[in-house]
Parts: sequence; structure tokens; C-alpha cells
Amino acid sequence: MFFHIVLERNMQLHPRHFGRNLRDNIVAKLMKDVEGTCSGRHGFVVAITGIENIGKGLIRDGTGFVSFPVKYQCVVFRPFKGEILEAVVTMVNKMGFFAEAGPVQIFVSNHLIPDDMEFQSGDMPNYTTSDGSVKIQKDSEVRLKIIGTRVDATEIFCIGTIKDDFLGVINDPAAA
Amino acid sequence: MADEDYNDLDMGYEDEPPEPEIEEGAEEDLENNANEDAPVEIEGEEREEQEPVERPRKTSKYMTKYERARILGTRALQISMNAPVMVELEGETDPLEIAMKELRERKIPFTIRRYLPDGSYEDWGVDELIVEDSWKRQVGGD
Repeated sequence: MFFHIVLERNMQLHPRHFGRNLRDNIVAKLMKDVEGTCSGRHGFVVAITGIENIGKGLIRDGTGFVSFPVKYQCVVFRPFKGEILEAVVTMVNKMGFFAEAGPVQIFVSNHLIPDDMEFQSGDMPNYTTSDGSVKIQKDSEVRLKIIGTRVDATEIFCIGTIKDDFLGVINDPAAA
Repeated sequence: MADEDYNDLDMGYEDEPPEPEIEEGAEEDLENNANEDAPVEIEGEEREEQEPVERPRKTSKYMTKYERARILGTRALQISMNAPVMVELEGETDPLEIAMKELRERKIPFTIRRYLPDGSYEDWGVDELIVEDSWKRQVGGD
């Protein structure tokens, strides 16, 4: 799920970035530092949409650096248990398959793939129904439900299932 | 160390005008607030406070030699790290010399945070403080 939230961060700024562009420099550095990172608490920071305020700087002793508390609005992506996501399959093996929904990796075990789908090995490993009408392979798009998340300080990993109504392949590149 | 250095012994409790004249040197124009939570600092970049200084400040309006030393040192360090210089240079190259010149022209974009024994503090812009005569000699006053 996506959220638009306000976060705060202390930015250390090198003296060479002072001057009339100080504010721009802080914002540029903030974007470089924060966008694309993941915190277990808030999820992946997708984009910074605005700056709420930049507080007073504080000179760091001995280094000449100045740290500014910056409040910024950003879009974060945080997967939840029970959430339905659409994802692209990146790897298929006999244990199941991996899919990616944006920055998050999701593993779907073969226990959580409908029983009528069988693993087919080969140079393009895939899961196929007995009549061959549905095929999950690399680059397939699947709709899946998240049944578990593992949240570390800097990483989020999910377990998904497609063994439920309305889940499964939604677009097969091979068929297209 | 010299975090609370206010020597109000002789010059008494002049009530300076509580609000600092907002006279930015040339530098950044941030809207600031948000008090620092961080530990020991006394100086913060650029001011214009809506800080807890509603009541008249009571520490000395003279810059102590410790404050002066720390400001010159910090500013010289920043200048040596390529911070933009706030004054016109006339061939000076030594960062400390440039910092002294900035102090003389009151262009150092710092605020001094003077902590009092009860934990409260007062903010003084460097351009509000009087740099004492005997220092002026060393600063190379007029």
C-alpha cells in the first residue's frame, strides 16, 4: 500500500554547499540519500514530494559540518499481510517462483500454487496447468496475495500465494 | 568545556533589544524554527529566531574571548573547506585571516547559543555582539 507521509531527517551539509543555494543543496542531497531506501518501519521511500521545513542548522564540533533537521513529505510503499499485489515473475524453480512488485521481492512457494499447476523444467522453467492453458514463467504478470512479510531494518521480503480466487496469471508475455 | 561563558560581572544587565535586527549578511534565507535537540552546540547557522527569547536577554552583550576563539576557529575551518566567503577579499588567503575579516565586518553567519546554568539558553547573533577593544587590536580593528 502507498502512503503519503511526513518524515524527518538530519542532513549533514559540507561547508562547500553553503551560500545562497544552501536550501537547494540540502534538498538535492536529501533526495539522493533517501529516495529508493527502505526502512522497516515506513517501507520503501518512493519519492519526495515536498519539503515541509528546514530547521535551524547546528554546527558540528570539529568538522565544520552543519546539520539541518529537515521535514519532508514523501510517498512510501509498504506491503502488508493480506494485500493483493500485481507482480512480475523474475525466477521460477521447483520450489516455487519469485516475483517483484516494484522494489519488493515476493516468493510464492509451490505449496501456494494451485494443485493443478505442475512444474516444468527446461531452459524456460515454468508452472503449467495440465491442459496447458495457463503458464507461469519468467516475465509473466501475476496477481497474488501477500500472506507474510519479513521486515528487517533495511529490507522487506514477502511470501505470497496465488492459491485463491481471482489470483494467478493476468498477462502472459508468451501468449501475447 | 566553554559552553556557558557569560561574563556579566561588571557590565551588568543591560537590556538589549530582545529581537535581533534581522540583517542577513548575504547568505541563505531559510525559514527556520525547530529547536535543535542535539547536544552541546552553541552556534547554529543563520538565525532569525522565534526562539524562547521573548523576555529580554540578560547575558553580556560583549563577545567573550572564548566565543571569539570558537567562532574564528569554526569559521576558518569552514572557509578552509571551501565555504563561500562573505566578504570581499583583498588578496587574503589564510582562512583564519579571512575569518577575522568576516568577524570585523560582522558577516559571520552564526548564532551563538549561550547555555545558562539552569539549562536555558539565549541566542545571540554574532553581528549583535560587541567584540571588545583588546580583541579588536588582534582582529585588526580600525
